[in-house]
Amino acid sequence: MATQTPTQETTEFGEVSRLKGIAFKYTSFAASIVGILALGVLLAYVFWDAFGLESAGTTWYLSYTVTLLVPLLAFFAYARTRPDVVAGAFELFSLTLGGVMLTVATVIVLSVIASPPVWFAYFLTVVGPAIGMYVYGQYNREATWVGLGILAAVVVGPVVGTLGLGTFSSLGAMLGAPGIYFLSLVLPGAGMAAFLAHDRLELSKRQSIGIGVGLPVLAIVGVPVVDMVPQIARSVWLIGLVMFGLPVGFTVVNTAQRRERWAAFAFPAIAILGFLLGEFVVGVVGATEPSPWLDWQYVTSGPSISNAAEAGLYPAIIGSVFLIVLVSVFTFVFGVGTAIYLEEYAPATGPLGTITRLVNVNISNLAGVPSVVYGLLGLGIFVNINAQLGPITYAGFGVGTVFTASLTLSLLILPIVVISAQEAIRSVPDSLRQASYGMGATRWQTIRNVVLPRSLPGILTGTILALGRAIGETAPLIMIGAATTKFSPPSGLFSKLTAMPMQIYAWAFQPSPDFRYGVVAAGVVTLLIVLLTMNSVAILVRNKYQQEAH
Amino acid sequence: MTTEDMATETEAQDEADEDSLISTDPGKGGLDENADRGGVTSGKTIIHSRDLDVFYGETQALQHIDLEIPENQVTAMIGPSGCGKSTFLRCINRMNDLIDIARVEGELSFKGKNVYDDDVDPVALRRRIGMVFQHPNPFPKSIYDNVAYGLRTQDKTDDMDAVIEESLKKAALWDEVKDRLDESALDLSGGQQQRLCIARAIAVDPEVVLMDEPASALDPIATSQIEDLIEELSEEYTVVIVTHNMQQAARISDKTAVFLTGGELVEFDDTDKIFENPDSQRVEDYITGKFG
Repeated sequence: MATQTPTQETTEFGEVSRLKGIAFKYTSFAASIVGILALGVLLAYVFWDAFGLESAGTTWYLSYTVTLLVPLLAFFAYARTRPDVVAGAFELFSLTLGGVMLTVATVIVLSVIASPPVWFAYFLTVVGPAIGMYVYGQYNREATWVGLGILAAVVVGPVVGTLGLGTFSSLGAMLGAPGIYFLSLVLPGAGMAAFLAHDRLELSKRQSIGIGVGLPVLAIVGVPVVDMVPQIARSVWLIGLVMFGLPVGFTVVNTAQRRERWAAFAFPAIAILGFLLGEFVVGVVGATEPSPWLDWQYVTSGPSISNAAEAGLYPAIIGSVFLIVLVSVFTFVFGVGTAIYLEEYAPATGPLGTITRLVNVNISNLAGVPSVVYGLLGLGIFVNINAQLGPITYAGFGVGTVFTASLTLSLLILPIVVISAQEAIRSVPDSLRQASYGMGATRWQTIRNVVLPRSLPGILTGTILALGRAIGETAPLIMIGAATTKFSPPSGLFSKLTAMPMQIYAWAFQPSPDFRYGVVAAGVVTLLIVLLTMNSVAILVRNKYQQEAH
Repeated sequence: MTTEDMATETEAQDEADEDSLISTDPGKGGLDENADRGGVTSGKTIIHSRDLDVFYGETQALQHIDLEIPENQVTAMIGPSGCGKSTFLRCINRMNDLIDIARVEGELSFKGKNVYDDDVDPVALRRRIGMVFQHPNPFPKSIYDNVAYGLRTQDKTDDMDAVIEESLKKAALWDEVKDRLDESALDLSGGQQQRLCIARAIAVDPEVVLMDEPASALDPIATSQIEDLIEELSEEYTVVIVTHNMQQAARISDKTAVFLTGGELVEFDDTDKIFENPDSQRVEDYITGKFG
């Protein structure tokens, strides 16, 4: 433009109204505060009752405030601006809790669901060969038969194991339970520890071998020590060493290796020392201690219905662990399989594409179906059905049994697992699939090597969160006739069970206030601890893989 | 492959057969004549398309393409956005099969065999025709595993370390990464990632390397490295490259095909001729920037 107009001076710019925006902002703020407040009040209320804090004296509060609360708050204030320290502390905390849960679950699976000799039979025929081939495949990358070999072990192994159950388990019986766990858990665990130490923690070869040899030695040396403590069986020691010791040891070394995370160790140190110091001070001063409902007796004994002080959650905890284990297996296999089929194989266009879309829409609908309806479904197809197919009679899996309950809960969360797995698979960039196909990979190779590794963290996170919903459910369990109160834990797949929410529900009807406030609150806290641990493990998994994939 | 895919292919094939009977009329031979006339440097033809039409649903993306791509040379495809040059590239290794609504009619032969014949397995075809994409797309794995990917999927795992080293050397990346083969490929720069993708494509020793605007997401230095590399590759491989950048086509290619809007191939000839003295006025306008 050739013509130039003289610049006019501006004295003011005027204002743009933000009234609606500001109103919206504070309304949303208020809405989110309501949610957080409600949760906070609930937690405070429940914890207050569960730990019987009402009965504690002022000196008791004072002692623990000084020895535990103030140091912890100081730590949080220090960590607030240091994300590395927070991450380290969170890892230490959640892996410790996760290790405890893993140990409990393993003990229940290996010695309650399956007896040690039976586990040994399947270890010899399925788990052992599969792990062995996997390790060989990692070591020798050129062995392409490994994948097929593992598949064969998983398919053929159970058949061989079942046919030879007698022989294998009598072999196992000769070894005894501790011997079986030593062979099947401690030795592979030692190998894994050595591998992790060398590959992930980048310790020297000598140190890694030391860890690999040290773990079994520690296991044996620890036996006489453990024998002196009557509460801990040898089997529990061996399982705990692997299932608790491995993840916790890994995190401790991992944290120790990163200078910027060292301060995270202050968290467990403050927590443990503060607690011991508090105990000591309380003992010296002679303060009135609280009388908690949630204590060792509570998690190890059965549910009294007359005496609140003797009531315990043990059978329900075991029932819930049964459910977690079985439901996670069912939903992972079926949910991920469905998601892969719908996302990678199912046709998207044409008449078959219409069916695909129909299935997709209905899975979304199923995710919103009330749980009591799933209970009814479970009652219909797993309990009440009586079908005769030639020589096979199918008469359901029994009223309120472990198997019926876990199938029903699996149906309930399957849509959620499928949807979250679909999301995770969909989030794999198409450019990676193209790259794989462009290299001349088949569809299966692309799924196996590109899509699944990339989407697994999302799939795992979704599955764990959905599991959280399953173990908190009551309605479907009522519908399939699960007991509200049971005095002994379930002993197998077809024995009757009760679960934590069911037991809590039953106690809530007791007339005595001790039950309604104390025992119920303790149950709720136990349930919440299990749930929150699962959720934090899910968060850890997600963070870990997000870092790796950038 | 789903049954649906197969159905589409068979269908496309049937129509292609019918079409080839009708439309091999000599009137369309202008382009072939051009190719022959300009065939001063041309070697043997390795890829030959005859009356190739591609549809995405109802939209026709390519119209009656006749093209002969010579062996061991660099053939560039230029043209404005949406002119179908990438579509043509993806026809060669049948990547269009992955798009449900894409339909191919006509004939495209690789070494004399129509790749859209019923007995052609697209996976086997892609193992002989490598591809490099517009945006660098290394797998989120280590550098080593990226190059090894094709070797593992194709069971060519003999002497893998040596093959990987050689491919990285050919892709002019070896010196930069030889000490950190175990590190994630995502830590490399964009230019390095693209050279890694080239190394990955040539590791399995394909006969043709297709490149879909391989330098468009890169800075000028990385671009010139990729261009040098393409020239070197053409000694061993047939390279077909799609590019937006006319100077790039002029610099590196032996032959140039100009596609214009609507999916038609307007001119195909020696690069020098296209850029200095094109037959078609439309091509001249496009090249000189007066897009018409």
